[in-house]
Amino acid sequence: MFGSGLLKGLAITWKEMLTPKVTIQYPDEIYSLPDRFHGRFKLDKDACISCGMCVRACPNNVIKMETETVARKKRLLKYVMDIKYCLFCGFCVESCPKNALGYEKDFELAQYKLDKVPLVLVDEEPLPPEEKERLEAEAAQKIAAAKAKKEASGGKDKGGE
Amino acid sequence: MENIFVNISGSIRELIGVLGLPPLFNEAVMITVKVTGILLFIVLNALWLVYMERKVAGYIQCRYGPNRVGPKGLLQTAADISKLISKEIIIPSGADKILFLLAPVLIFTPPLMVFMVVPFGQNMAAVDLNIGVFYFLAVASLSTVIFWIAGWASNNKYSLLGGMRVVAQMISYELPMVLAVLGVVMITGTLNMSDIVRAQENLWFIFAQPVAFLIYFIAGVAECNRVPFDLTEGESEIVAGPFTEYSGMGFALFFLAEYTNVMLVSFMAATLFLGGWLAPFGLTIIPGWAWMLIKVYIMIFLFMWLRWTYPRVRVDQLMGFGWKVLVPLSLANIFITGVAIKVLDKMGW
Repeated sequence: MFGSGLLKGLAITWKEMLTPKVTIQYPDEIYSLPDRFHGRFKLDKDACISCGMCVRACPNNVIKMETETVARKKRLLKYVMDIKYCLFCGFCVESCPKNALGYEKDFELAQYKLDKVPLVLVDEEPLPPEEKERLEAEAAQKIAAAKAKKEASGGKDKGGE
Repeated sequence: MENIFVNISGSIRELIGVLGLPPLFNEAVMITVKVTGILLFIVLNALWLVYMERKVAGYIQCRYGPNRVGPKGLLQTAADISKLISKEIIIPSGADKILFLLAPVLIFTPPLMVFMVVPFGQNMAAVDLNIGVFYFLAVASLSTVIFWIAGWASNNKYSLLGGMRVVAQMISYELPMVLAVLGVVMITGTLNMSDIVRAQENLWFIFAQPVAFLIYFIAGVAECNRVPFDLTEGESEIVAGPFTEYSGMGFALFFLAEYTNVMLVSFMAATLFLGGWLAPFGLTIIPGWAWMLIKVYIMIFLFMWLRWTYPRVRVDQLMGFGWKVLVPLSLANIFITGVAIKVLDKMGW
């Protein structure tokens, strides 16, 4: 019949009008994100050994890391990701030998002020000099004690020979 | 309920009558009240129709449409309008300033004038003109000139193209529209809208004149410059046609006029073919003016449904369809109607 295509079109749009809508009303309801979603980064401060692998893995030099060495141990002072250059490739997370770096299921990273954009994961003051000295002295003492113990036990062995 | 508006009008008339002023003054007050009422009706409906259009579009496209401003997004249009009012009206340097500003002012006038004769319910036409249908067709076609003014005054090739398309399209589709309405007029023998509605007591003219209704509907869509005949706007071809250079409230007035035209064509369809205020199936619990509105809104929904279903036709298709299909069809309809009237008359109906 002439014009049946027009009616068919109308029928299709009518049916479409009555189908349930799949739009997710974003601020009210949030789409359930998949497990491997690359969102905001999180850092397990205690697990991190400040090796700097993530800094080297980053293709855009997003990660800035500051450390101090106290008693021959690296201590993390600052871990800042300038997220505006981040392309969420995930190389940093992959490269982490201790699995300290990971993702959160959070994509709301927009900020009103530019200086709020960088993602500050760790921001600690360097230790005061007295505390540093104390720790270093303690460590030196420990090392000395261990050395003495070793020497003492080593001397015995020698003597036995 | 049936006569609520008639009673209100009557009581206002009595109230002024008590003051003992000259009858001319009384008439002036009554006309002002009526015009204000119609204007209010048009503006509120236009606000609602923009919202409804967007909702229908959303639902047909499997989304929700506006739902943020106000409850269910009902204040969306109000927000849009206040934005448009606050915007600057930019006049292009090469434009004909007077005509450019005159066009949006005038565009709303013909539809408003036509609403004068529309019977909203029994005894509810602002003026019960005995040549109502003729008046409607004559005044409604004035819009063509104003669209042309807008297109010409903008001094822009897209506006000019759009204006030319408006003129071509509206004149081509005026003809089948008039000829289709003629079928109804032949049966009733009157041009008075209220009398035409009363003549449909036994049988709505959509059943007596289905071809005429179809022609009227198609021509009506074309007259309103709506999809699939929206060549005048044709945003993917000529930006926005005659409205290209308009901003702020000028643009809003064109928009308002478009929706008023849609309402007008729907009112006419309801009056001429769908039995106006007459209740179907004897459902007289719902008052006549409500039936009128229901019918009008069914028509308006049809308009919107068409808009979000069909793609735009080409210019040559539009012209070819108008002159080669609709005009001969409406002429044939008149011929058959005339023969049928004569034959039934001879048979003693």
